[in-house]
Amino acid sequence: MSGSSFEYSRATDLDDALAKGGRCNATFLAGGTDLLQLWKSGLAAPQNVVDISHLPLADISRDGDTLVLGALARLSDVSAHPDVKTHHPMICEAILASASAQVRNMASVGGNLLQRTRCPYFRDRALACNKRDPGAGCGARHGENRHAALFGSAAGCVATHASDLAVALAAFDTEITVRSTIGERRLTLQELYPLPSATAASDSSLAAGDMITAIRIHRASRFAPRSIYLKIRDRASFEFAVVSVAAALRVEDGLIAEARLAAGGIAPLPWRLRGSEAALIGRAPTEPAFLAAGEQAIEGARPLEKNTFKIPLLRNAVVRALQSVRGGS
Amino acid sequence: MNTRSVARYEGILKVTGDARYEGEIVPDGTLHATLIESPVACGELLSLDTSRTAAFPGFAVMVSHADAASLKPSAATALIREKAIHFHGQPVALVAAGTLAEAREAARAIQVATTTRPAVTDIGQAAGSAYTPAMVGRFPAVTRRGDSSKALSEAELVIRNRYTTGVNNHHPMEPHAVVCWWEGSRAVVHTSTQAIFGTRAIIAHAFDIPATDVRVLARFLGGGFGCKGQLWWPWMFWAMLASRKANRPVRLELSRAQMFTLVGRRQQTEQDLTLGFVAGRLTAIEHDVVAQTSTHAEFSDSTAVYTRLLYACPNVSTRHQLVPTNEPHPIPMRAPGTAPGTFALESAMDEAAELIGIDPLELRMRNFADQDQETGRPWSSNSLLECYRAGAERFGWAHRHARSATKVGRWKIGSGMATTLYPAIRQACRARVSLRVDGSLLVQCGTQDMGSGTYTALGQIAADALGVPMEKVTVELGDTLLPDGPFSGGSQVTASILPAVEVATSKLRATLASIAVADATSPLGGKPPQDLELRDETIRSRTSNAGEPLVDVLARAAPDGLEAEGESPATNHQELAATGMGYGAIFVEIGVDPELGEIRVRRVCGAFAAGRIVNPLLARGQYIGGLVGGIGMALHEETVTDRPTGCIIGKSLTDYLVPVHADMPEFDIIMIEETDPHLPGGVKGIGMLGTAGIQAAIANAVYDAIGKRVRKLPIRIEDCL
Repeated sequence: MSGSSFEYSRATDLDDALAKGGRCNATFLAGGTDLLQLWKSGLAAPQNVVDISHLPLADISRDGDTLVLGALARLSDVSAHPDVKTHHPMICEAILASASAQVRNMASVGGNLLQRTRCPYFRDRALACNKRDPGAGCGARHGENRHAALFGSAAGCVATHASDLAVALAAFDTEITVRSTIGERRLTLQELYPLPSATAASDSSLAAGDMITAIRIHRASRFAPRSIYLKIRDRASFEFAVVSVAAALRVEDGLIAEARLAAGGIAPLPWRLRGSEAALIGRAPTEPAFLAAGEQAIEGARPLEKNTFKIPLLRNAVVRALQSVRGGS
Repeated sequence: MNTRSVARYEGILKVTGDARYEGEIVPDGTLHATLIESPVACGELLSLDTSRTAAFPGFAVMVSHADAASLKPSAATALIREKAIHFHGQPVALVAAGTLAEAREAARAIQVATTTRPAVTDIGQAAGSAYTPAMVGRFPAVTRRGDSSKALSEAELVIRNRYTTGVNNHHPMEPHAVVCWWEGSRAVVHTSTQAIFGTRAIIAHAFDIPATDVRVLARFLGGGFGCKGQLWWPWMFWAMLASRKANRPVRLELSRAQMFTLVGRRQQTEQDLTLGFVAGRLTAIEHDVVAQTSTHAEFSDSTAVYTRLLYACPNVSTRHQLVPTNEPHPIPMRAPGTAPGTFALESAMDEAAELIGIDPLELRMRNFADQDQETGRPWSSNSLLECYRAGAERFGWAHRHARSATKVGRWKIGSGMATTLYPAIRQACRARVSLRVDGSLLVQCGTQDMGSGTYTALGQIAADALGVPMEKVTVELGDTLLPDGPFSGGSQVTASILPAVEVATSKLRATLASIAVADATSPLGGKPPQDLELRDETIRSRTSNAGEPLVDVLARAAPDGLEAEGESPATNHQELAATGMGYGAIFVEIGVDPELGEIRVRRVCGAFAAGRIVNPLLARGQYIGGLVGGIGMALHEETVTDRPTGCIIGKSLTDYLVPVHADMPEFDIIMIEETDPHLPGGVKGIGMLGTAGIQAAIANAVYDAIGKRVRKLPIRIEDCL
């Protein structure tokens, strides 16, 4: 044990959880795979930990052409679900590229979307971090910034978002159901992850007491034959992305009718590559279009001292992802 | 003695969790301790304000430099006796309380005041302060054989490059821990150490008590790799002082984050290496190493030492220099010196082979050193050429070009090879072997098992010598009440214990034989003692069918059992007739994705020659473990300092990458048996051999695959794009 002490309570039902979660300095506990680390290193010091892991929010179902993931569905269950494997293979790939089997057996999809950044300056209280201590400065900007963002950074933070699943979801039309004591609301993924404020203190638009209850992925099965989640990392497994690309195409009459591209490891949020998508529409799924999409992806990148290599890497990864889905499956 | 793949003596204990590590020994009333770390990298401790602490529940005691002033001054106590702060995270006090949580809460309430001075946190920042140490380990720091600058001016081909290696941390699974208490003036210390007797001696010195009043135990270790030695002692001393002050047992265990700062690391090197050739033969080598040390102590790996003797070359100059920085102190880490040193030398040989236009393997064979280049002594044995041949054949080196730079899926294939070597040395050792009347065997030696198989090796050597099955053998080690054994380091333990155990078992065999032949009621009575042998729990005649069960002989003539001690001396480096060295040749095939920069090791073939192999199963494990560590150094592991603060970045195994299973290819291990007449027992160390050479082999394979020469470690995505 290493963190500070807290009150633990097990929610009896969703309303009880929301009531308890709405109290001062409370946090929800689902899989605990990130919370445990944050608590151990003193980055999370909740007074109240509300255990929601057993609440009936773990269903995985299809509603027409919408995939509905209960927020407490385990990553391993989602990736093994026949409907997900058949209709949303890219989501399976993103999950299977995440963490280790042991972690995936514990981690919930809701928690995965809300995991904090892996920026080492954030994770160590001895180092300067605006996200952790607004106003403290950003040690990474002029320090060890190999893992830092190329896009979307606020002035005071160059951290990246760590979730693989969020990148895959960003490529699709994803809607997040959020509950609190006030009621229920639905956010798009873009609304869940707004561009950060100056210090990037929060990683999402959720307020204290908010709980993700479900994730809906709409009309994505049409991309199933041509989609991929490509993850580049420093070792073969159990490692966060240096760069990742989620790519999905729909081809009609030999031309790209729809394209969805998002990237991870390069921005404080899962980064939709709309310019690259536009560069593909109406063109044949061949090298020239892919190269154009790759060039578009790196447009406007703002590298730091040690992450410039991520610019050609991102370009190449976009091209490779598109080459891989070209022929379809 | 047979070569035999005996299964691990302690295997069942470990996989069932029944092996109790020293940090798990927690007597009633034990206080739990935590360390308060300095927030600055350079300065002086002004005060520790404990005014708020007394009120904390469970708080028992704090110790700091003030308490350590009672310890005798020595290198081991300097850091904790003084107020000077040398690196970020240096402990300034230890706090102990009833529970670990209480200790941490109390520690947080202590106000630490320090001065801050500008810190040097990069060797590049202080290049001007580089100095030459007197020695690097047991070797001179500077050597000069022949005239390298003249030879370089006359060489047909000169290759001059800088190679750099990053900082690595050891990270055994088991963090350092101590549970200690005092029984009057006697100390009992359960701790994870690679050297129980060295630890006992330093405790006795620091506390100014007789060594016999100190008992140190380390019966199981969850790895060490070099970091469970002297850098742990200061923090262990503080725990012992806290125990004495509170008059209760104290337990301290380092956190994973503290394993990055407090117990040593493989030092960063910048190596300038120049090779000169005439007709494909080395005529000159200059190898200059600049490496980091801390500001509170001196350490240099023997990085360029092996450049002095791996190849035949008449003109060799080597030099080691150190730059002190306000960073954690370095210490030997598996394959110390050879891992970074061979990275430079064996990369440069590959570069030379290409320029000369010959097979890099052929270049190495052509420059084989047929004697110790430094001393002129013969090798005690040397099967390096056989390693080259056997490894190349198994790997398919001759046919590698058919695959090189071809593509398998997204991977461009490349092959590379390199040499590894490590000296065969021994420490003094005593061992006791007892044969009980029931025919069971007790083997005792005050060494420790880092997890590499010392229990098994010790037991099997004695069992084989006396014809007793392993099931009837009990091995005791890791306790200073046992006969003095070697520390676990420098790949020396098996080589050191084997001669001592053989002396002890020879005595027992002689005693048993003389008892048997002197007993008229025995079927062996009257036989010449030299006719007898011990096999299958029976004393037998070699020349007839006569024999008698061991237990019968013991029951009649030695109802209390028999006991013998054996002793063997350390290597006497001054009086050696021959130089002992273990060798290996490492061949790797890798894939590089040139667009995405990823590297995967696809195949490794290692051919090793390290004397007599006691247990091939354990040896294979050691070689593979060593190679995996080498892959980590080549491709994954790097400890980085935040230059403005001196704080180590990413102090967790999430950020400090080590190879996972998916990074480990198939390992093809060839063991070339040597009969070495010069080494007592004929054993050379094997633990280091896998961890050197492979770094250069991988870098050479990267070049073969994509034509990029990477002269730094680790080799990362950005180096291959």
